[in-house]
This record gives sequence, structure tokens and C-alpha cells, in this order.
Amino acid sequence: MLKNRVKELRARYGFTQSDLGKQVDVTRQTIAFIEKGEFSPSITLALKLAKALQTNVDELFWLEGDERDEK
Amino acid sequence: MKNDFRLQYPLWQMGFIILLGAFAYGLSSPVTEVVNTETENSIMISIGGTQSLFAMIALLLYFILLAVFAYQLRKHNKNNPHQKVSAFSIRPPEYLEQDEGMTYITRKAAQKVYTFITWSLPLLAAFAMILPLPKLFIIWGILLVALGQYWIYYREVRSHLKEDAE
Repeated sequence: MLKNRVKELRARYGFTQSDLGKQVDVTRQTIAFIEKGEFSPSITLALKLAKALQTNVDELFWLEGDERDEK
Repeated sequence: MKNDFRLQYPLWQMGFIILLGAFAYGLSSPVTEVVNTETENSIMISIGGTQSLFAMIALLLYFILLAVFAYQLRKHNKNNPHQKVSAFSIRPPEYLEQDEGMTYITRKAAQKVYTFITWSLPLLAAFAMILPLPKLFIIWGILLVALGQYWIYYREVRSHLKEDAE
């Protein structure tokens, strides 16, 4: 399962799900699905999210069980 | 999102299906009299009083629902010019595909519907072949499968789109 820090970083920058969704051209619901881990985004969307949240894709997403999981 | 017409579309279809089932009941078991003599050729179909009343009420409700549906459809299309819904499109209007997340939940819901259809239709066909079912029961069976598919689709999509705080 893909884990992520989208919610954490979004909160850090003070974005709502709608704000972030607008920046990466998806609906608020899609951001919510990603945050809840219901849905794994495409590489394109992952790159857009990383850019919007000023981080790298591998800092934003990682596989469950990886060392990053211990964050 | 929960007020999105496309999300509610399966519920409208379910309403139409229920009324169609009621209409089918109203038209069931008509008495047919065929006269075929040298001087007269005629067919007379008569429906029982209660049943014909049932059919008339179902038909009336159907047209009322259709009028409300058409109004809601126009309202949606006026408010969402980039996501217009056509009641006559081949592609089901309830598909939510504005981005990859919505496409994902639509696909999940469609998979569940497909699973339901793959066993329910052959089962219905088997029942219809084996059991001496009246025509009305077969019609109701088909309508029940249609009702089931819309309900499964609606429940699945709705479960993902429950409004949650941002």
C-alpha cells in the first residue's frame, strides 16, 4: 500500500483540499482519496503534488514497510 | 458533490424502474377475447378495474417523475455547461470521470455492477426456463436486476463521496 504525507504537508502550507486540488487540476475528492490512501495517484499527479507541496515525490509517497514508513 | 445530478442519476433511474414495474402489474393478466367468424374479426383486450387503475396511476406518476427529471436535467446542464448530461447518450451519464480519482471510483463501482450482472442475468434466465413463471414475474425479475445494478453503483460511489471535512 502506498503511504503519503500529503495531508501533513498540505496543512503545513495552509492549503485546503480544494486549494491543492485546484493547483494540480483535480477535484477535492481526489485529494481526499489520496490522503486516506484509498487511491494511488498516477506518476504525473504525484509529480504535480510534489511540486505544489515543494518536495520530492519520494518524500511525499513511499511504500508501506519501507524505512520511511517509520516517519 | 452529493448534490451532483450525475451522482443522483441512478436514483432517478430506480424511480422510473419501480414505476415501470407497477405499470407492468397494472397491465398483467389481461383478458383477451378473439372473435373470428365469417362476419366478424375482432380482438378485445380487457383489463380488470383495479389493475387498470393501478396502470393509470403508475403511468401518471411516471410522467410526473419524467417532468421533474427533465427540469432537474436542464437545471444541471445550465449550471454545469462543461459537464452536461444527456439522457439519451449511450455512455451512462452517472460516470464521474472528471479526473483520475473520480475515474477510479467509477471503475470500482462499474466492476461491482459487472460482477452482479454476470451472475444475476444467467440466474434469471435459468429460473425463467425451469420454472413456469408468469410473464409478469419475468418482467419483474429483469426490472429487479436493473434496480440492483443502479443500487450497487450508487452505494459504491456514494460510499467514497461521503462529505468529510477538508
